[in-house]
Order: sequence, then structure tokens, then C-alpha cells
Amino acid sequence: MRNPAKRIFIASLFLMLLVIGGFSASAQTGELIYDEAGLLTEAEAQELEALAKDYGEEQNVEFLFLTTNSTEGQSIERYMGDFFDERADSTGQEAAVLLTIDIGSREVYLAGFGTAERTLDAERIDLVLDRIMPEMQRDDYGGAFRDTVVTSSHYMEYRPGVNPESIFLKTWFHVTIALLLAGGIVGAMLYNVGGKVTTTPGTYIDRDHTRVRSQDDRFRNKTVTRSKVPQNKGGGGGGFGGGGMTGGGRSFSGGGRKF
Amino acid sequence: MVIHYKCPNCGADMAFDADSGHLSCPSCGHEQNIETFPEENIERKFDEGEAKEYHCENCGAIILTEAETTATHCSFCGAAVVLADRLTGDLAPAKVIPFTITKDEAVAAFRKWTRGGRLTPRGFMSGDRIKKMTGMYVPFWLYDIEGEAHIKAIGTRIHTYQRGDTIYTETDFYDVFREIDLSYLKVPADASEKMDDELMDKLEPYDYSEMKDFRMPYLAGYLAEKYDYDNDQLFSRVESKIVPYIDSYISTTISGYASVSYTNKQIDARKKKVYYTLFPVWMVYYDFENKEHTFAMNGQTGKVVGKPPISAGKVALWFTGIAASSFAVMKAISFAVGGVFW
Repeated sequence: MRNPAKRIFIASLFLMLLVIGGFSASAQTGELIYDEAGLLTEAEAQELEALAKDYGEEQNVEFLFLTTNSTEGQSIERYMGDFFDERADSTGQEAAVLLTIDIGSREVYLAGFGTAERTLDAERIDLVLDRIMPEMQRDDYGGAFRDTVVTSSHYMEYRPGVNPESIFLKTWFHVTIALLLAGGIVGAMLYNVGGKVTTTPGTYIDRDHTRVRSQDDRFRNKTVTRSKVPQNKGGGGGGFGGGGMTGGGRSFSGGGRKF
Repeated sequence: MVIHYKCPNCGADMAFDADSGHLSCPSCGHEQNIETFPEENIERKFDEGEAKEYHCENCGAIILTEAETTATHCSFCGAAVVLADRLTGDLAPAKVIPFTITKDEAVAAFRKWTRGGRLTPRGFMSGDRIKKMTGMYVPFWLYDIEGEAHIKAIGTRIHTYQRGDTIYTETDFYDVFREIDLSYLKVPADASEKMDDELMDKLEPYDYSEMKDFRMPYLAGYLAEKYDYDNDQLFSRVESKIVPYIDSYISTTISGYASVSYTNKQIDARKKKVYYTLFPVWMVYYDFENKEHTFAMNGQTGKVVGKPPISAGKVALWFTGIAASSFAVMKAISFAVGGVFW
């Protein structure tokens, strides 16, 4: 068995059979939402579970939500990595988008595993975080997860590496340009319908006698303005991450913020 | 004084032929070079009380003219006549550009132009309702202009560089001085009151290499007019025509700056020489949907100007066509790049 994925899959099947509910003992709900900090109501959790399932099937990934009161002294990156290693070992699901909230240190971390590492790369994760930060700051964690699921699914439909929020991909931009172009061309046609002026500034010029007799370009003074090199990402209370490797050897794309 | 050009062969009235550039006889086909036309075949007749009335030499009928007309046809027998006293003294043209496009070629060129009308109604595009084509020599003043321009301006150059985590934007200011000699040759302005200035401006440019010293036989067979405005009256118009040319020349002499703002721009232009010149124009009178449309065609190059009727339907079609296709192209590109349609 050369294929490590297959090996892990079979291993995890065994594990599943042996320790069904091993981790789910600590998970209050279903299999996608692990609300250990108790940030969601029962109804909310069920609704989000259904939503995550729907979108996940469409994108062929799992949308996971992990909350905790404390990362037990580890970094949030490490904590969520350990969580995912354990979960993936037991379920065999390698492709996932994982939103982790540590309410103790008020940090949020979003990571893409497996295929999602490519389809939801660091740049896109940053965009999603931009989107959910207002909700985080309002303590609307359910809303933040809902937005994460919807927005990430949308982004993952774009070809990897493309900025999904690029203005060049927006329909309103296409419509505006198309209308401006048509207006410009038809306007020019209408303007020129009675015959174009085809004389140019050079038509009647006498090149032998039109010339610069004397010229002078003298330096006078200069002004200098200074500005700081713009720092990337100031908003939302500082960002960190960018992806890495879990303790179990799974690589992921990621990004986190304080809120 | 009325002038007829009689054919040395058969005595019929000769007229200018745009194809050959000679006088040609409509009845026997004889052609005669304008420079060598025999003096004895030029029939001149002085009328008494001439300022008012001219009589045709052939049929004796009164030639009906307007005060500006210098060449026309006898309205009874159709003979080409040139009214010489309106072309002499102060009124003598210095130069003429003869017609190179014949009436048939003019009709064909006009039809071709109507067929190319992308915004005109379908019925107009056939171009088959020409009511009248008139070949006319329109009086123009051509100005040789010389002058100077004194320019003061402030130019800026901007460069940015980085030291550590600070970006420096340095703007250098320069005092720019230019002294420019200006010379423009044979800038035309139409001197006829009747002709629409904008229309005549659009007929330009003419090819001056075919310009000839004026001789009356060029006018035989065409309409011609004398000027209504003298060259002093028209100079301001020609000035307003060349100022944009001068401005654009000045801007080409100041280069290498990110921005240029003029603090002093003194342009002094004088006329050095003027030429009273006749330019060939085909006037096309065209009936469309009970309205007469007037077009003018450069009698040398065939360029057509004038406002044709516009079809709102075609305008809308072009607009939606261009908008829809460019939208589709952009969508296709964004799909190719992003992999998503909406």
C-alpha cells in the first residue's frame, strides 16, 4: 500500500469502528460543529450543521466549526491542527475548511485542508476573514460561521490563484464597461456621420520655417513628501498565520485574527 | 463682359472637362489645352449697362445671375458662360484647383458614400434620389501665416524612491522658456456667405500640388462665385482655425515633464501673403422623405460631408450590438480566467 491517503483511509475506518463517538463525546452536536465553548444555541447549531452539510456536499469538502474556551497554552494554530489531526484520523475526511474560535484569547483562525488548501488559499482566507470580522466583533459567532461557509463556497468555485473579489470578475463592472464602450463608439459614429475633420495640426505647417528659435529649461526648486511604506493588514486587530503543517503532518492554508 | 469659348473645329460652346483637364467640345469631341487656347476663339461681348444684365451670345437671352455669380449656364440654351468682369481687377482669383472628379464620378462617389452609411435609414442608402448635382467653384482665401510664440511654463518631474520604510516623492519644478518661429502655408477659409463654414472646413484638405494659376476657361461649364468677404474680414476666422494647431505644436516642443502648466503664452500671428483661390465643390441636393438634404463633395478628392438622416433603430441596434458583444467577450474572458460565470 503505497498510497498514504488510502492507508489513512483504511486506518481511519478501523478507528471509526473501534471508537465511534470517541470524539463526539465532547461534541455537543452532529459531526461538523464542535461548540465546546457553548457559543451557539441548540437550534442555531442544528441549522448551521444542515447548512454546512449542504454546502459541503456541493464543494466536496467539510465545513467544520470548532469553538473553545482555552487552547490550553498552545497557539490557536497548533490547537486546531491537533483537533483536525485527531478528527481526520478517525473519519478519514482530509478535505475541510475549519473555522476555529478561541473565546478565551479572542482569536479566530480559518484553515483549509486537503483540496481546500488550494481552493481556499491564504489570500482567499484573508478575504473571508475580512468578511466575518464585523460579526465576530458583534459576538455573532453563528453568523460568522454561516458567512464563512457561504463565502468560502463561493470563492472555491473560482479557479485557484484567482482573486475572487477582483473587480474584473464582477458582472456590474462588465455591464458598465460594455455600456460605456457602446456609448463611446456609437457616439463617435454619430459625431462623424456628417464627415470627419481630416486636417491635422501638421496639414498646413511649414516645416522649413516653424522651429524653436531658443529654449531654456531651468531647474527651479523641488518639494519632497514622505510617506510610510504601507503595512499589510492593520484592521481587525492584527493578523497572523498563513498556513503551515499540523503536528500530524497535514499541510494547510490558514489565516487568523484577533477580535 | 460675357465670355464664350468657341470650339475651333465646329464653333460650339466648349466646357472644362475634369477628366482630361482640358476644354472639350460637347458636339465634336475636340479637346483644347487651356494654356494654348486660340485668342480668336474667345468671344467677348460688352453689354451696355453691364453691371446689371448679361446677354447670352448664342441666343440673346438674358443670363440670370446672382450678384456673386462669376460662371454659369445660359438658362435658355445651356451654353457655358463666364462673366469676366466679375473675375478681373480686385476680383481676379490668383489660383484655382480644377475639378478632377466628373459629374458621373461624383454621382458614383456619392452613391458609394450613402451605401457606407451605417446609421442612415435603409431607404437612404440606395442613394438614387439625387435631385440635382451642381459643380461649383467656391471662393476661398488662402493665407500664408507667419508669427512668433513666446512661452513661459512650469514643468514638473516626479520621482519616488524608498529609504528604509519611508517612501520619498520628489517633485522637481522647472522654468520652461520657448521662443518659436511659426509658419503656416495656404490655410484656407471660405469667402462665400452662402456656404456653411463648418461644411467647407470638413471638405479639407485639398491637394495643393494640383493647384494652378487661375485662368477663366477652368470655369466654363461650372457655377462659380466671387468672394463676399475680403481677406481682412476673414483673417480672424483663419486665426481661430490655426490657434489649436499652434497650441499642439507648442506642446510638442515641451517634453519630458509629468505636467506642464503655462504661465504665459503669447502668440503673435500675421498674414504674410493671401491668395484668392477657387476650390472645386460638388453640391448634391438629395430628396429623402419629403425633405431636401444638402451635401458637399470635395471636387478633387471625392470626400463627402453633410448631415444625412439618422435611423434611430439602427443607432439602437449598433448600441445594443456593441454592448452585448463586448459584455459577452468580457464574460468569456472572466470565465476563462476565474472559472465562474456570475
